[in-house]
This record gives sequence, structure tokens and C-alpha cells, in this order.
Amino acid sequence: MIKTVGLGKTVRTSEGQLTILKGIDLEIKKSESVAVVGASGSGKTTLLSLLAGLDTPSHGSIFLGNKELTAMDEEQRARVRGEMVGFVFQTFQLLSSLTAIENVMLPAELKGDGQAEAKAHDLLERVGLGHRFTHYPRQLSGGEQQRVAIARAFASSAKVLFADEPTGNLDTATGAHIIDLIFELNEEFGTTLVLVTHDSRLADRCDRSIVIESGELVSGGV
Amino acid sequence: MIGRLLLNPVNSLAAGYKMHIGLALKLLWRDWRAGELTLLLASLVIAVGTVTTITLFVDRLQQALLDESATFLAADRVISSSDTLSMEITEKATELGLRQAQTLSFLSMVFAEDRSQFSSVKAVSDNYPLRGQLIVSDVPFIRGHPIKSGPPPGEIWLESRLLPSLGVKKGDILELGVASFPVGNVLVKEPDRGGGFNNAGPRILMNLADVPATEVVQVGSRISYRYLFAGDKAVLDEFQAWAKPRLPAGTRMFGVKEGAVGIGSTLDRAERFLLLGGLLGVILAGVAIALAAQRYAIRHYDHVAILKTLGATPAGVDTIFIVMFVVLGMMATLLGSGIGYGVQLGVVEVLQPLIPIELPAPSMKPVWLGMSTGFICLLSFALPPLLKLRKIEPVRVIRRDLGDNAASDWVTYSFAVLGTIGLMWWYSEDLMLTALIFSGGACAIVVLSAVSYLLLRSGRVLGMQAGSAWRLALAGMQRRGKENTMQILIFGLAIMLLLILYLVRTALIAEWQAQIPEDAPNHFAINISPEDVEPIRSLFSENGIDSQPLYPMIRGKITSVNNESGKVRDERRQGSDDSPRVSSTRNLTFSGVLPDDNIVVAGQWWSTSYEGPAQISLEIDLARHNELKVGDTLVFDIQGRELEATVGSIRTVAWDNMQPNFYIIFSPGALDDFPSTYMTSFFLKKEQKLFLNTLLSQYPTMTVLEVDALIEQIQIIITQVTLAIELVLALILISGGLVLLASIQASMDERIKQHAILRTLGAGRKLVLGSLAIEFCVLGFFAGVLATLGSEITVYALETQIFRLNYELNPELWVLGPLIGTVLIGSLGTIATLKIVNTPPTTVLREL
Repeated sequence: MIKTVGLGKTVRTSEGQLTILKGIDLEIKKSESVAVVGASGSGKTTLLSLLAGLDTPSHGSIFLGNKELTAMDEEQRARVRGEMVGFVFQTFQLLSSLTAIENVMLPAELKGDGQAEAKAHDLLERVGLGHRFTHYPRQLSGGEQQRVAIARAFASSAKVLFADEPTGNLDTATGAHIIDLIFELNEEFGTTLVLVTHDSRLADRCDRSIVIESGELVSGGV
Repeated sequence: MIGRLLLNPVNSLAAGYKMHIGLALKLLWRDWRAGELTLLLASLVIAVGTVTTITLFVDRLQQALLDESATFLAADRVISSSDTLSMEITEKATELGLRQAQTLSFLSMVFAEDRSQFSSVKAVSDNYPLRGQLIVSDVPFIRGHPIKSGPPPGEIWLESRLLPSLGVKKGDILELGVASFPVGNVLVKEPDRGGGFNNAGPRILMNLADVPATEVVQVGSRISYRYLFAGDKAVLDEFQAWAKPRLPAGTRMFGVKEGAVGIGSTLDRAERFLLLGGLLGVILAGVAIALAAQRYAIRHYDHVAILKTLGATPAGVDTIFIVMFVVLGMMATLLGSGIGYGVQLGVVEVLQPLIPIELPAPSMKPVWLGMSTGFICLLSFALPPLLKLRKIEPVRVIRRDLGDNAASDWVTYSFAVLGTIGLMWWYSEDLMLTALIFSGGACAIVVLSAVSYLLLRSGRVLGMQAGSAWRLALAGMQRRGKENTMQILIFGLAIMLLLILYLVRTALIAEWQAQIPEDAPNHFAINISPEDVEPIRSLFSENGIDSQPLYPMIRGKITSVNNESGKVRDERRQGSDDSPRVSSTRNLTFSGVLPDDNIVVAGQWWSTSYEGPAQISLEIDLARHNELKVGDTLVFDIQGRELEATVGSIRTVAWDNMQPNFYIIFSPGALDDFPSTYMTSFFLKKEQKLFLNTLLSQYPTMTVLEVDALIEQIQIIITQVTLAIELVLALILISGGLVLLASIQASMDERIKQHAILRTLGAGRKLVLGSLAIEFCVLGFFAGVLATLGSEITVYALETQIFRLNYELNPELWVLGPLIGTVLIGSLGTIATLKIVNTPPTTVLREL
């Protein structure tokens, strides 16, 4: 489902070139769940943003499905994201001016799906927020916001779900509920899951872990 | 999907647009409901509203002033001729539906039983006057009452002082030519009194139908015919365009601006001021819109990044925000122009008792102008920040530290620059004015940014030794250096524009008041014989009459210039403009002293004791239009004799100053061999008016031109124009206040976050409020200093280049500017940010 060849990312800083990632070769199969782990600043979030087509690499190639992201422009990458990718972020990233249900409807609306509201309705019920449809993000707790974000991620009928520290902003109990929810839905929808985390318990629930250290892949690439 | 796109790109594209339009409308509604659009929409509506209000108000005032000034001519357009006009022209006016009247003026003796008086007779048709009012009374020297039309056939009306002068009262019989008429009303005031040879004596008004019976008008009589026209401006313009080329030589056609001495330049300057006011209003509105749109865009960086992660393409983002912009723009423009129309009606309603003239009904044209101005403002100032959103990178959802990383700002600035220049040009139709204000503004922005930055740096050094609220405030300002430099710049620019308008207004009003002071000469005396000069001078001083010097006056004309015939030169001139011709017969004088208000612009004025060969000084328009320069040799025909003189200097003349003015002045002694008469001007108070009878009975050969009524009318107009200008200034002040508020609002989000953190860490309300007050006062002070500097420079350029005024430094401004900045920004800022200390920090931090 996902494949990288010689993937590298360097950025220019005031102190010169900084290499964030180098020579990453990895492969993730369809419906597989993979945890990307590593210390802070190791480059795992950068790897996630490259795999999801949110950012462009300095070297190498990325294949998502059978499409080469690195050969596309932003317009084409955006279409691929809309078609294939769902996200869950540490900071939830809900639109503050939209209610819970409107946030969940958004991916389907962007595709022009006439069933957006019905789907969003079902998904919010599914994540246990049937009573919170018309609440704005600021009126929801952290756990509830993350559940809305999860519902939104699955609303796009994504083939791959990228999650960046999904429990990073939550207490242990709420975090555990969120993890359960992600894995349940992942299984239900048959999604490929790529998950960046510090949490070893969360990593252990995945099929395998990719370990990154100082921008290099240490283990779990294939 | 990509494959489908490639197979059927057109359909997919159309479907894509349709979908994005639908989504844009949904997002717009959701943003509105969440309060995200309130500030932007409010700015847009208020901006469009202000522009519409100002445009409408200025349009109505301009129209009203022109209408009011038209009373100087008793018409909107006048054709003045020394002969009757061909029927073709009056028939055309009738065909176009213009109202018409006719007057005919001549000088004649009028006889009572045992007395006679040389008088200025005006015969008027039944529908005279077309504009303004005739004021009459039953007895002389009282205020009188208005009357609809002039004297009916068979009676004549006399000006007040004629009654004691002729020893007659209402109903007595007077002889004019071979006819006799009873005295009807006493004429107190006529709208088109004016000056000129045929208006020299005291006025007699009669009906045009009675003129033939007097047999005064004969072939060769010196008569002025005036054909008066009134009606819709567009029709009048059409008529003027048609008629002007058909008029015989020596016939003039003019409106109020060209026709009324002393009013033309006042109205021109007033119009330019109103225009400048409108222009600055538009720019201020633009800045307010730009700030609100910028704030909206910044608040939507994250939204766009999220939309992109969810699959929105850059083109999709463009479509979404352009649709939102168009809908928002249309709503704001409609709402704003509606509100503007209403506010303007309200302003007029409230101010009606203060406005001495009746405003014509508002027309739709300014509403369209306001709406299109509003939309151009939106396009130039609001669209660019929104278009920047397409460049927001989706990876921002993970890495907030990326900042806006948006498109280079040059696109934004180019839109704003083009929009501003376009609007300024459109409004002013004056490239010079546009270039001047724009380049002044651009230079000010560059200098102001550099200076603001330096001032902020110096603030930090001072702050280090200060108390805690000061340290907090100054450190905060330093930390947000870039934003604060921008804010000082915007505050400075807004205050600067307001100061400019205030300074120009003050200078204009001072200039107008100086132009015709209370004791300006209001009578001209001509045809004074040399032997009467001294006795008249004594009579003036005995009666306490304030008079100007007595100037010799000789009629003469230029016959050749550097051996080329004057007539040939005139024929060679292109066009048939009204500029002075070289070979016209003129009043010549000589003087050792340069007259007041004349400025030599080329060559040199001779010394008072000059005794050399004859030299002349030429008025600048006469010299310029006829390509005459210093050193040219001119030959004059004076009383049938030739006199050669060299051009010694060229000078400007203040034609508006109501003093004897001359196109050509000779050096002392040059005209000694020619018999001359003298002229002067003097000031008579209303109660001294009867002195004229004494003067004229003692010196019957002299002629007095009475311009007191004209001067009084000019002073009334100036009062009205001044008020108009004050009103526009007030409207612009409101616009300026809006910019300041928008600018404070734009920086609010950042301040709320920072102070919420401080309060969480234990900072008290007093400390936070104190630091905010200090911060705004310091910003205001710096902005005030910069605004003062910028406005002095711009006002110098405007006054010298556009308004043709004398520039003077304004020392009081250097105290007022910084003071206004500190107090205004300090209080507005503190009041607007009270929300910061009143919002619980937890509420703020939850939304971070």
C-alpha cells in the first residue's frame, strides 16, 4: 500500500543544511497497522507527513496505492489525499467554526458526496457522540474532540489512516478509549494504519513497529 | 478520479466548480454563524457605507454650491454679447427645453423734475431671474423682501441711493430717453449685480419691452446683451457644446465658474478639497478592509491546512474563497450603500438647520459610484489576503511553527497599489494629484517603517530601567517588533491623513478669509481727471474712507511684438480660448511700486526712482499665451500715438483681491506725455453708502463701480463652502476612527493569548491593563510623531502644487500630533482590549 525508496528530507536552517531523514526504504502492506516510533526530534512526524503527501521529500520516491506521490504536483496530491487518506492529529485539528457534525461532513462535502450528512450522522453515533452533533469544538472535551476527528478520518472512506500521536494530548483513560476506537474502526473498515507514537502500549497493538533514530530507519522497514 | 478527470476534463471541472461553490456557501454560512465574519463584514459594510455617504454628501453639496453660485449669474449659463444673438441659438435652447431670459444693460442719464443722474440701466425679460432672487422694498435703505420677477412693463425700479439723489419717492415720474415711467419698487438686491462698464452707476431696472419706447438704444450704442439659460446640467453641456462654435467673435459663453469674479477659484479649491476628502475616505476604508481581511485570512491559515489535508486542491481553495469573497462583497456593498444612503439622509436631516443652502435630492449616480468604489476596494484590499490562502501548506497541521509561509507579499501589495492608484485617478481625474498623494504616501510608508522600527528599539533601552508594567509593555512591543512596526505605520498613516485634511482645510479657509477681508475695497472709482486726484484724496480722508492708491489709467493696445504685427500674432494662435489676446485694447498704468499681491516671476521690477527707457511689466497669462518674454520689444498705440517699450518683468496678479489690477504696467515716467485719467478702489460700510451721492455730485465726470453686493455674495458663498468642508472633515474623521479600531482588533488575538498566559502565571488585572495602556500610548505617541512629520511634508506639496496656497510650517502640530496619537490610540486601544482582562484565562487557553 505504501512504499518508499531512498527517501530523504533536508531543510535549510540558519546554521546550514539540516538532514531530518535519510535513505528511508520501507513498505507497508494493505490493511496492515504500523507504528512509527522514536525519540523526540528523530524525524518520525516528518516521515508521516511525507507518506501522507502533506510535504515533499528532498530525495527519493513515495508510492501510495499504485500512485507515485513524488511525481505529482500539489493539485494532484490533494486529490489523492481526498480519495485515499484519513488523518488523526495530536491537536485534533477540528475547524473551530464548524459544529461536530459539520466537521465530520467536511471530507465527503469536499468530494461532492450528497450523502455527507447521513454518513457523518452514522459515524458520530458510532464514536459515541450522538448527543453532541451541534456542539462546537470549544464546547467538547479533549477526548470528545479526538473522537470527532476519528469520525472525520473515517468519513472520507480512506484507504490509509495516518495518526500523529493521537493520544498525546489526552489522559491515560481517555487515551485508552481512543486507541480502542481507532483499532475497532480500522478493523471494521479494513484500513491501513500508520501511527506515530511514543506510547509503547499503543505500538505493541500494531502489527509491527518502524524505529527511527536521528533520521535513519533502524528497524522494521519491511 | 484522476483518470476520469483526464478523460472528461471539462465536465469534471464544471462539476468541481459547482461542488466548490456549494461548499463555499456552506462554509460562509458556518463562518458567519460562528462569528468569524463579523469583523470583516462590519469593516466592509462600514467602509462601503462611509464611502457612499461621503460620495453622496459631497455630490449633493457640490451640486448645491454650484446651484447657489449660479445666482451670481441669475442663470446656469450665460451668453454675453455686444450685439443681439442669432435666433438659431435661442431656438435651439427652446428645442432642448432650457429656460431662458434676457437682459440688456446700458448707461444713460435719468431725469427727475429738477435733477438728473447718470445711471446703469438694466432691462430684463419677464422670466428674469432664472436663478437667485430679486429683493425689493417700498422705501430705500431697508432689508426688503424677495419678489418673483422684475418690473412689469410701464414702471422702473430704482436702487436705494438713487431716490435721495434724484429727490423722488415711489410713484414719482422719471424720464429715461424719450419715455416717462413711474417709480415702482426700490431695488435692494439683484442676483447678477456684477461689475463691468455698463454696471458702473446706480441701478435702474426696467422691463425689456419698454426699451424701444425710450429710443436710447441706437445703432452704435454701447450695450451689453446677456442671454440667460437654466436647466439640467447634461442638457446645458450639450447646448454649450453646440452653441459655442456658432458664436460670433467677441461673444462669450460661460457658467458660474468662469463667469463670477472671485467665485471660480474658491469653488475650484473647494471642489478639490471635497475630492481630496473623498479620496482619503476611500483610502482609509481600503486600509480598514485590508486589515480585517488580513485578520480573517490569518485566522483561516489552519482551516485551509486542514481542508487541504482532507483533499481540497489549491484551485478548490481559490474557488471556495473567491465565491465567499464575491457573496460577502455583494452583501457588504448592497448593505453598505443602503446604510450609506440612509446615513447621508440622516446627516442632511440633522444638519439642515446649519446648512444655509438647500441640498438637491440625492441622485443614483453617487450610489453606483459608492457601490463600485466599495467593490474595487474589496478587490484591491480584501481579495489578495484571501488569495494567499491557496499557498498554505497542508503540513502546517502537523508543524505550526511553519508560520504562514504564504505567497510572497508582492501580489498583495500590487493589488493594493493598483487599486489605490486606480481609485485615486478615477476620483480626481487628475494624474498630478494622484501621483503627488500616492508618491507622498509611498515615501511616508518607507520612512515611517524605518523610523518606527528604530523608535521601537529605543523603547527597549528605556524600558530596561523602568517599572514592571512599563517593562512588560515595552518588552511586549519589542517581541512583536514586526507587527508593532506595522501597527505604528497604520496608526501613523490614519492620523497623518486626518492631519493633512485638517491642515489643508485650515489653510484654505484662512486663505479665503484673507482673500476678501471684512474691509476689502468694495467700490471702484474710474475716470478721475488728474486735477481731481488731490481733492478726492482729501475728501476720502475727511470722511474717514479707506482707499487704495490712485492709479493712472490710459487706454491703449499693443500693435507689434519684435516688429511683428500684434493682429497677425493673434490670428496665428490656435483655438478660440478665452485667454487674453495680444492686440486687445487695455487699461494701461504706470507705477514705481509693485502692487500688493503681485509677484514677479521673471525679470526684475524697476526701482521707484527709475528714469530710463520705457519698460513694461506683463501679467503672466498674457505673457504665456502670447509667447511674450523678458527683453521683447513691444510697440503700443496710445491715443493714436506710438510708444515703444521693452518687457522688463512678468508677474502674477491676484485677480480675486478686489483691488485695481492691470495686465500691463509701465515704468514711471513712460506715460507722462499722454493725458490720463485715474482710478482707485475704496471701502464703504453699508451706512456710508450715501457718501457716493456726495462724491458723484462733486465730481460728476468720475464713474463709480459698486461691487459691494458682489463681495457680500462672495462672502456668503465662502461661509457655505467652509461649512461644507467642515462636514466632510467630520465624516472622514469617522472613517479614520474605523481604521484605528480595525487595526487594534487585528492585533487582538495575539494580545489575548499572551496576556491570558501572563494572568495564569499570576499577573493582576491592574498590571495587564497598565501594560496594555502603556503599550497603546507609546504606539500612539510614535504614530503621532510620524504622522506630524508625514503630514507636514505632504501638506507642503499639496498646498504649493495643487491648491496654490502659501505654505507655512505648523508648529502647534508638533505638540498636537503626538498628543492626539497618544490620547486617541491609548484610550481606543485600552477600551477595545478591556475584553482581554475580562475574559477568564482558561477560556482563552482552551482555544489556543
